[in-house]
This record gives sequence, C-alpha cells and structure tokens, in this order.
Amino acid sequence: MPNYGYGGRILRIDLAEQNVRTEKLHSSWVKPVVGGRAANTKRLFEEIDPDCDPLGPDNVLIFGVGPLTGSLLPASAYYTVTAKSPLTGILGDSAAGGQFAAEMKLTGFDQIIMTGAADNLVYVMVTDQGADMVECPHYAGKTIVETTESIRKDRNDYSIQVAAVGPAGEKCVLYATIVSSGNRVNGRTGMGAVMGSKKVKAVAVRGSLPVEVKDPLVFLSEVKKVEKTIQNHPEYKKRYHMGTTMLMQDLNNIGILPTNHFQKGVCKYIDEISGERLAALYKVKNKACFNCNLHCSRYYICGDTEAEGPEFETLCSFTSRIGNYDLEFALEMNWYLNQMGLDSISTGEVIGWLIECQERGLICPEEVDGLRITWGDKDAIRDTVKKIVFREGIGDTLANGATKVSKQFNEKAQHLVMQVKGLDIICGDPRGIKAYGLTYAVSSRGADHLRAEPYFELTNRKQEAVRRFGTEKAADRLSEEGKAALVVYSEKIALLCDSITMCKNIGLCMDVLNFENCSALLTAGTGIAYTPEYLKKIMEDSVDLQHNLNKRFGLQREDDTLPERFIKEPLPEGLTKGSTVDITRMVEEYYKIHRWE
Amino acid sequence: MIRVDMSKCTGCRRCETVCAFFHTGKVSNRLARIKVVNLYESGIDGPVVCAQCKERYCMDCPVNALTIGSGGQIIYSPTGCVLCGTCETQCPIGAIEVFNECVYVCDLCGGRPKCVEACTEGAITYDPDGDMSLESLEKAEKMNPDQKRHNYVRKQGEELRKTWRGERA
Repeated sequence: MPNYGYGGRILRIDLAEQNVRTEKLHSSWVKPVVGGRAANTKRLFEEIDPDCDPLGPDNVLIFGVGPLTGSLLPASAYYTVTAKSPLTGILGDSAAGGQFAAEMKLTGFDQIIMTGAADNLVYVMVTDQGADMVECPHYAGKTIVETTESIRKDRNDYSIQVAAVGPAGEKCVLYATIVSSGNRVNGRTGMGAVMGSKKVKAVAVRGSLPVEVKDPLVFLSEVKKVEKTIQNHPEYKKRYHMGTTMLMQDLNNIGILPTNHFQKGVCKYIDEISGERLAALYKVKNKACFNCNLHCSRYYICGDTEAEGPEFETLCSFTSRIGNYDLEFALEMNWYLNQMGLDSISTGEVIGWLIECQERGLICPEEVDGLRITWGDKDAIRDTVKKIVFREGIGDTLANGATKVSKQFNEKAQHLVMQVKGLDIICGDPRGIKAYGLTYAVSSRGADHLRAEPYFELTNRKQEAVRRFGTEKAADRLSEEGKAALVVYSEKIALLCDSITMCKNIGLCMDVLNFENCSALLTAGTGIAYTPEYLKKIMEDSVDLQHNLNKRFGLQREDDTLPERFIKEPLPEGLTKGSTVDITRMVEEYYKIHRWE
Repeated sequence: MIRVDMSKCTGCRRCETVCAFFHTGKVSNRLARIKVVNLYESGIDGPVVCAQCKERYCMDCPVNALTIGSGGQIIYSPTGCVLCGTCETQCPIGAIEVFNECVYVCDLCGGRPKCVEACTEGAITYDPDGDMSLESLEKAEKMNPDQKRHNYVRKQGEELRKTWRGERA
C-alpha cells in the first residue's frame, strides 16, 4: 500500500446487497497507471463484462481520484467517473473539477466502485469509515443544487461535497450527466444515466484524512514553478477574463465556429454571443476549482437565472450551432441543463441535427410527434429539451441521442449526425483544425477533443513544432502533416493530467505539464520513483489498454473516422474556406506510431 | 487582523490549502485555520478566519489555554488545553475549532500570513491595526462550527448579492 499521495484504499459498494467493503490499494497495481482516469480504465478492463447492459446492474460505475488530487498542486481538482457507456456501448468516462475531488480524496479512498442497483432511490454518503446508503425517495426530481443543499442541511455539515444526478439521470436519458459543486459536470458519455439506473441520486463525500506528500519541500518547489508558469502565461489575462468562452471569437475568426449545425464556420452575429459580451453584461465574479490560481470560471446573473459558467461548449451548442443569436437564452439553457443533468453537447447535437433534417425535408414533423423546429426557435428548443429531460412524448425518443434516433430515418439523415462511435462531436469544425479532427476520429470515448486536446496546433509555434514533432506543419492548423505525432504526444499528456489529477485546460492547453515536471511532482508526492521515460511508457501502455478494452466492446478500425461532411464538403467561407479533412491519411499514421495491427 | 473581501473571492480555497500545508506539511480543510465556505445556490464564496474580535468570546476558556499575542492573534497552549470545547462553542463565526485533540485557530503565521500571500485575488489582506466587533451577530451556541461559518458567509453574502442584482438590473 502506498504511504504518500494516495489514500491507499478503495471502496466497493454493492448497491443491491447494501454491502460495503474496503480494500487496500496495492502499489504494484496502481504504479503502472498512476491513478484517476488511467486507473479507472484498468479497473473497468478487469471487472466489466463487455456484453453487459450499460443500464443494468452488472455495469461497474467507478469514481476515481489520483495521487496528487487535492494536494498543493494548482488545479489538482479533478475526478473521473468511468463505466460502460449507455450512449456508445464502449468505454465511457468523464472528468470534472470543482470541489468534489479534493473532498473525496480526504476520505482516503482513491476509487469508489459501485455495482448492482438499489431497490429505491438512495444517496451514498462516503466518509473515512466507509459508506452508508441513505434512502431518499423525497429527493426524486430534485435539481442538482437542491439535492446538494438538502444533503448538507440534513446532515448539518456544509463541507460535504455532492455529485448528483438530476431528473435526466433518474430517467436514464442516455446522455445524462453527473454534476458536483452545483455546476461542475461529468458531461460526456452518459455517466448520469448509469448512476440513475443504479438508483443512486447522489454520492456525497466528507473526509478527514489529510493529503500527505513524501517530500514536502521538493514538492513545494515544483508546485511554485507550476504556479509561476500559469501566472506568467501569455493567455492568462484572457483566460481569467472569459475562461473557455474566449474561443467563441477565436474559432469564429479562423472560420471554424460550428454554425447552423456545421453547415458554416463563420457566424454573422458573433458579437451578440461572444465571451466578451457575456463577461461585460452578465458576469458578476470569477470562480475557481479547488486550489487553482487561474480562476477561469465565472458566475453570472441574467434575469431570474444564475449559475456558474457557461463553458465554451455549452455556449456554442446553444447559440451558433443551433442558429440562436440570443445570449440570454443560452444562459438560461446552461442553468437548466446543469440543474437537470443533461450533456449540453449531445443535447445541442440532437437539436441541431433535427433542425437541419427538417430544413432539408429529410424528416417531417409528422414523423416526430408533430414537432416542427427551425434555427434559433427558442420556444420549440426549450420545450423539446424539457421533454428530453423527462422523457415525455418525442423527448423519450430523442433521449436516446442523435445517433440512435437517426437509425429510424433514411441514410441521408443518418449521415448528418455529427458523431463518431455514437458520441456527438464537440464544437470545433475539424476542417480547420486537423489534429482535432484526428482526435475526434480516434478518441477512445468517441468524438471528443479532450482525449488529446491538441491545442498546440493553434499556437503557431513553428520552431517548437519541429523540435517536438519533426515538422513545422504540426503547428499549421490546416495541414494533416505531423498531426498524428502531435495527437499521440498530446493524448499521453491528457491522460497524465486525468490520472495525477490536474486540469487539462492548464496542464495541456496552456502546456504546463510535461513528463519532466510531472515525474518530479509524482516522485516527491508519492515517494514512488517515476522517471520521464517510465511515465511516457506507462501512458503509452494505458492508451493501448483503452484501445484493447474498446476492441472487447466490439470497436473496429473502421470506427475511427469522421462524419462524411468533414471529409467531403468544403467549408463555404472564411479563413478555412475550401478545406476538408484527409482523415484516412492521419489515422494510418496514427496507427503506425501506435504499432496497432 | 485578516480582512476578507468576499466580492473578490472565487472560492478556490488556496488560502485554506497553504494554511494547512505551512502549519502541518499536509493538506486538508480540517487542518486549516482559515476555512472557505462555497455556497452553490447563490454563487457566494468566502473564507472564515479569526476576526480578532473586540469581544474575544473564545477567552472564556476555563483553563486559560488561550492567550492573546502581541499581534492580537490567539495563542493556543496544547499542554494546558483540556479539550472542553468552550472556545468552539463561544465563537459566533466558527473560526476556532477542535479537531483530533487540538484547537485550530489563526496564529497570523508570526506576522506574515501565508493565506494572504497565496490569494491572487486580493480577497484576503492583512491589517495589523484593524479590529472588528461581532457583537451584532447571534450567539448561535447550538450550531456546530461548520454551520456557524455557513450562516455567517450566507448573511454577509446577502449584501453582495444585492450589489450584483443592482449592477445587472
């Protein structure tokens, strides 16, 4: 059992039998995966029946933190939730920041593993001593904040942190989320549906076992360097001011802001929906995750709505992507989706897809319960989202996600779903960011940027590109050259961030974490000797493990591709005009570097 | 005293983290002498720390294990303390607390508070000559320190929320 960094224990909860068991975390088991997401993947690999029903009792739901979570390291505020995804049928996981992870760490459990399903709605209260399952039928239908506050109040302890599902999770909407710290979302791949299927309304944590590092002085000096890198970063001011919503203008400027469901990459009403406008008119203060010195999140008030965020993905999903130019509507939806527990990207896709299909005459209103929906039609969008949350009427169908719904319609409609492996694509048109395109195609949880987040290709650092990836083209967003190498490098750093754990926006986008400083931090933190070479190797192995797990779930190489639109249709205007993605070439190179097949 | 400006607090808890680390070499909110309350229903965040109040409620200590230092800070003597919890009960804002057979209260880090250095937002400042009164607060003896901190921050936050609403109206 490791003595430093780690809590050193794992907690197993059988929800059907109401049985709770504590096990030791063995150093030999955890060393090659570090912790967090990589450890969760290994656990899933070892314990999941690949053929199990993702919404049945056999699915394994894992909450995991890493050796540096909740430590002095800035932004060490992340936890990952892992299970077989009900949306995609493959590896599902999603990480979130906020305050939950640091408190979970103090319980001394590095992983909480839930199997079976409870008979009635419960919340799980985890402390140093283990876990209690508390029946809470009266919490049914409560929002995230209501659930959080109810648990804190009932237990007379406002330091409790809560990760809950909203009504969408209770109804097993396939892209339901888990939300902690009020607005911090494990958004992708439907982890909220898995938790809902197990009849778990919330996981609450409160611990008292401190995070101890092996060598506090060395650790401190490494932490100071990281803090300085963040503080002196050229993007610090911009990120502090707007957080990820800075990307609205940035992506629009280079012609890749998804507009009208990826039909365009330039949005004419960008100034109405930009991060600048949001900050000027609605932001009241900055917010931060545990121990972060960037404070990139924001709290806003807009009429009767107030919430933290929105992040770029939600903002874009509910403005340009679905043809809406009313920022206030997007702010209302951010609050609603967070409190109901629904993934904004997948929700935005199902709506955008339906609108485009209706526009093209591929789906008529009679086929979708009389629903007629057009670009930016706020009333219809609001009403549809509400129906999805509660699985009412057409919402019951749309709750299965655009990919599954499209199977009821013709091939043209199916091709219009912007997805890979059943997961809806994020907001960023790959025709103008080729490394992102490759990331969406090969990502082990389906179309998503966070598996590699190759932000480097947007930073125009040509010399650095030659040094790291052998060609200056790696820093040219429109080129396919060198992108496989960039993605293979970035996916290791992304995994490292998720495993130690640290925010990827800081670790990866701001290029703060690398094998050198990470091995120094881990060695001083855990007392286990990590070298940069060893870290690199075990991250490679962990990427292989994800790949092999997905093979068990039935994935094939053909699944590593992009929607037809990005391969065949050039963008019509702007700085990415005329561009398409040569995905075959990049995937081939990617496989070659990984030595797969 | 340590002054708090809640309008600048982002809820990052860096003050709490460095406080625990520099006093104990470990990180945990339980080991911190400054504790942050995050209110998710209203967006309010705020650290609670000894206000070096004029009333000095904690000095009701029956065994005189607490004394006042030259900077106005509370000095705790673990050898004299019998862990009766009087200080914890008497403090109206939950700034002093017994945990693991020890009393946790701000000692000003000998005059250079680490929490102030760690706060990048200017939400915490050190004012060697300042003092404040907590007389207007309810005594709230029946509440635990966690509830008292929560209550205190929530009430303080009401004014701030009015300002926010005013600005955004």
